[in-house]
Amino acid sequence: MIHGISDQEWVAYLDGELEAVDRDRLETHFIGCAICWEFFDRVARTTARLDAAGKATRHSVPLSDDELRRSMGEVLARIRRGRLQTTEVRERLDCLERVMAPMCGTTTATRALRAAAQGSPAQSLEYVTADNWTPFLSSLRSIAAVMCGETGAHLVWESGQL
Amino acid sequence: MDEKQVLELFLLTGTEEAFCALFEALYPRVRRYFVLRGLDRMAAEDLAQNVMFIVYRRAAEVRDRGLFNGWLMKVARNELLQHWRRQPPPDWMVAFEPLSGSLGDQMSAPTFVDEASHFAEWMTFLEPAERELVRLRFIEELSYDGLALALDVPVGTVKWRLFNVRKKLSHIISRTSRDTVSEYPRKREL
Repeated sequence: MIHGISDQEWVAYLDGELEAVDRDRLETHFIGCAICWEFFDRVARTTARLDAAGKATRHSVPLSDDELRRSMGEVLARIRRGRLQTTEVRERLDCLERVMAPMCGTTTATRALRAAAQGSPAQSLEYVTADNWTPFLSSLRSIAAVMCGETGAHLVWESGQL
Repeated sequence: MDEKQVLELFLLTGTEEAFCALFEALYPRVRRYFVLRGLDRMAAEDLAQNVMFIVYRRAAEVRDRGLFNGWLMKVARNELLQHWRRQPPPDWMVAFEPLSGSLGDQMSAPTFVDEASHFAEWMTFLEPAERELVRLRFIEELSYDGLALALDVPVGTVKWRLFNVRKKLSHIISRTSRDTVSEYPRKREL
């Protein structure tokens, strides 16, 4: 704090957000204090220069329409690939539930799938994807081994291969 | 439609058409984020595409729409950090250098060249964290709340750091500028 003006007050004043009473106090002080006035003036000018230079920099990296379209096409292709994989994963999850239900009941099978997801990198059934499928399936096999025995676990493992 | 409307439309419908409109609005800025941090064109495009893919999948998770740009820059920043971790150290040095060479040649208008060059030069006087803060504030125009989200620090810390950087730069800029101090306020209306 210099001359009774805190950093918070300087920030608020420079941003034009200081309460009227405090603003009057600072401006009254500036009239009698060249040091504080010069400091304010210098920082305010700096901010204005940074604003202008920042704006110029925003315009300094051109992007052609061709580049934009090419990148958009690549991202859209990736999205569509991901969507196909998601459909396959959902179908496989339904299949696993159908395989496990006769061995341990539908509710338990659903809970086992959720528990396996929580114990895998996906952390939730909603986030199980083709990329994290193998650790999820390993987790499910371990759970199935306890609930349905080794034969049931093997069946789960085989049924779950993408 | 402005950027905010485009974002709302995408979040509402989730269609590819809406995403394409959002892509057109955001991609140039995301790509620029990487170019201005010293990446070559190919790497900048790859990382910008990664960011846009994440936008498609996770934009709905941003609860406060006003902070979307802060979230976007946070995603971009994480992508950049991951990229740097995969790269050998000399790339860090490239990111610190003033704007010059091929990037300088890309400048579109002479006045912008001057100002953008000044900006790049000033950045060389700053620490990496300070530089990131100033770029996000003055190039990406993030609010204090957006900066806090992007940099994962409290808003008060953002304000304090930014104030200190402005103080630091004020000495540097005034040394390199012919500007004189404004007329003393005894003769000004305050």
